[in-house]
Amino acid sequence: MIQINNLTKKYKNITALDNVSLEIKSGEFFGLLGPNGAGKSTMMNLLAGYIESDSGSIKYNDELVSRDTMNIRKKFGLAPQPLALYDDISAETNLKIFGSLYLINNNELKSIIEEKLNSAGLYDRRKDLVKTFSGGMKRRLNLIAALLHSPEVLLCDEPTVGVDPQSRNAIFDYLQKINEEGITVIYTTHYMEEAERLCKKIAIIDFGKIIAQGTKDELLNLLPYKEEIFAGKNEKIKTIYNSLANFGEIIEHDEKYEIKLQGNFKLSDIFKLFEDSGIEYSNIDFHKPTLEELFLNLTGRRLRD
Amino acid sequence: MKTILKLFKKDYTLFFKDKVALGLTFLVPIVLIYIFGKVFGGVGNGDERLQLGFINKSFAPVAKKLERVLDTTKTFSLIKTYKDDKGDIVLYDTNMIKNHIRSGKFSSALIIPEDAYTDTSKSLKLKFFYDPKNQFETQLIDGMLQQTIMQQVPELFQKSMMRRAETDLGKEAGSMFNSEIARTVNKFYKVDTSLILNNNLNTQSDTAVNIGGNNMFNNIIDIEKEQLVGKDVANPMATRSVGGWAMMFLLFTITGSATSLLEEKKSGVMIRILSAPVTSTHILWSKYLFNMSLGMIQLSVMFLFGYLIFNIDIFSNLFNLILIVIAASTACTAFGMLLASLVNTPRQANGWGTLLILMMSAVGGAWFPVSLMPESIQFFSKLTLVYWSVEGFLAVLWRGAGFSDIWQYLVVLFGIAIVINLFSIYKFKRGNVF
Ligand SMILES: Nc1ncnc2c1ncn2[C@@H]1O[C@H](COP(=O)(O)OP(=O)(O)O)[C@@H](O)[C@H]1O
Ligand SMILES: [Mg+2]
Repeated sequence: MIQINNLTKKYKNITALDNVSLEIKSGEFFGLLGPNGAGKSTMMNLLAGYIESDSGSIKYNDELVSRDTMNIRKKFGLAPQPLALYDDISAETNLKIFGSLYLINNNELKSIIEEKLNSAGLYDRRKDLVKTFSGGMKRRLNLIAALLHSPEVLLCDEPTVGVDPQSRNAIFDYLQKINEEGITVIYTTHYMEEAERLCKKIAIIDFGKIIAQGTKDELLNLLPYKEEIFAGKNEKIKTIYNSLANFGEIIEHDEKYEIKLQGNFKLSDIFKLFEDSGIEYSNIDFHKPTLEELFLNLTGRRLRD
Repeated sequence: MKTILKLFKKDYTLFFKDKVALGLTFLVPIVLIYIFGKVFGGVGNGDERLQLGFINKSFAPVAKKLERVLDTTKTFSLIKTYKDDKGDIVLYDTNMIKNHIRSGKFSSALIIPEDAYTDTSKSLKLKFFYDPKNQFETQLIDGMLQQTIMQQVPELFQKSMMRRAETDLGKEAGSMFNSEIARTVNKFYKVDTSLILNNNLNTQSDTAVNIGGNNMFNNIIDIEKEQLVGKDVANPMATRSVGGWAMMFLLFTITGSATSLLEEKKSGVMIRILSAPVTSTHILWSKYLFNMSLGMIQLSVMFLFGYLIFNIDIFSNLFNLILIVIAASTACTAFGMLLASLVNTPRQANGWGTLLILMMSAVGGAWFPVSLMPESIQFFSKLTLVYWSVEGFLAVLWRGAGFSDIWQYLVVLFGIAIVINLFSIYKFKRGNVF
């Protein structure tokens, strides 16, 4: 378990992390969601021991994590946000260099590298210079370079930046697979879709502060509304207006009604009402709230501009 | 320690993968040293006066005049005295002046012996001692001296020619000399003899005397030249220049590889390395080791090349040469690391590096001898590590200096390295590389 207590990190006049407390359970797929500049990378670099905090503490299984605790570092693997690779040498040599820093013996390292290259679909390109790789391939290499020493915790700092959708899916699958194998994954992103899809637990961070955390459902429950239904204005809808009002607040727009569903009922009840009054489904839009809306609701801003 | 070695190995892996860097490190300097070694010819002629040791033992009027002329020209600064052990100012004698050339106090001396010009002399006899350490300088002094004498003491030319003609052709023919030989001289040596024959000579005239070679001159002024230092050096030119050039390229190489720290920072690799069980101390040690070893290899390769191509004798004083190589590499490494600790990006490092290296090389004597530079600049020369390295290489290769003669170069170079390193480590620890 990782316990983060009252962690604060300042850069001159910028407070990158402001009194952050979090708890991440072993084996969890934990997401840190927030806009650019929120402090995600700062958090990851602190966890990796690359930088030192100004106050507060990080503990991993009750051991203090800091710049000077070398043996904890072996339990963490960081895939940094910048592509931390040597461009002018081959993928394989990159991995050899990074693996050697963990003092893994040569033969063992060789077989680990082979296995990781295979699992990331890079084995055929292992002799090629990294600079000839696509964005997606570099990201995958950046990722497996963090796994050579078999860490217990993988820190993934925005691993899908500059990656095409197909490679992105491959990375998701890969991360889910290693999470299932028991590795704790801490994942930062500013894409709420990624956090929703991958992470069992999510913390939303903004201006260095955790503004909400929990499972996706717990987070969405923080919104004053749940699902919404948009229905195009026509005669038939007007006849059931009063019945609809039982399901929640109705906001009238020029072309349609927005019904913010509130209270305890079954969704089938409301669909039955539509059906009975002969309203076609094509006239109805069902909308589930997103973390994006939560962020908007909490901060008045969008995750991405 | 193991971590340091792994990082050290990493730097060599990266270094050998980069074929361009490899070429720049070894091939380019070799090619350039070769070309410059062949091409570089007489240089200098600035405003500064050339230091020339001087003794006049002759009482002949012409010797007095020569002394006066040399005293008053802007070209030379005559050194006639020295301070002895008691601090008294003493006139030079021949032995002392030789000693001072050998110890490098100045590079040449002119002696006018007692019998320089007697009543029967057909030529002016002079002695010239020199240390060709700075070939440019001695050539310059030699040439300027000849020119000054020819220009300022022209009656010497005339008288000598007359006497020579009297002996060789008989007294009667002597009078014919003025017209006949003058024409010949004029024709072959392009000396304006009308000036010489005309007795209204203005000794301060600044007529350019164009001497078509040394033969003619040697007949009139008989300079006995004695090289005091480096007599046995096979290839003086190359021996003198190899150290300077090697130093300049070494600085470029090491600055380049020290700034790899900044590149690793920029690319994010530094985050990866420092999130492994590696400390910034490990990284600094590995960089120092890498740069120092690279420096030693590069210098060795260049001296070996000098040995193979220019026949520079690197083996007879090998131990001392190695000492200077180590000291120079250490000081260069310190410089490279200092640069990396002070700037923020690789491009800044390259910009500043190039500027500083060229300045240090120029001022420190990598390109031409410091002794030719104005005194105000010579002060700054001694502040550069290039100066102490180049002088160290010269002492070892040229003068065959032993440890007792080179220890001060070692002390200065290691001293520079220690001071710079302390400062740059301080900067690293609180700077933005790590
Ligand atoms: N080395 C640094 N020096 C100064 N400010 C920094 C540094 N690193 C990050 N910051 C600042 O700290 C804040 C958080 O940055 P970061 O953790 O990188 O955010 P994120 O990863 O969420 O985009 C930003 O305002 C950023 O400008
Ligand atoms: Mg970031």
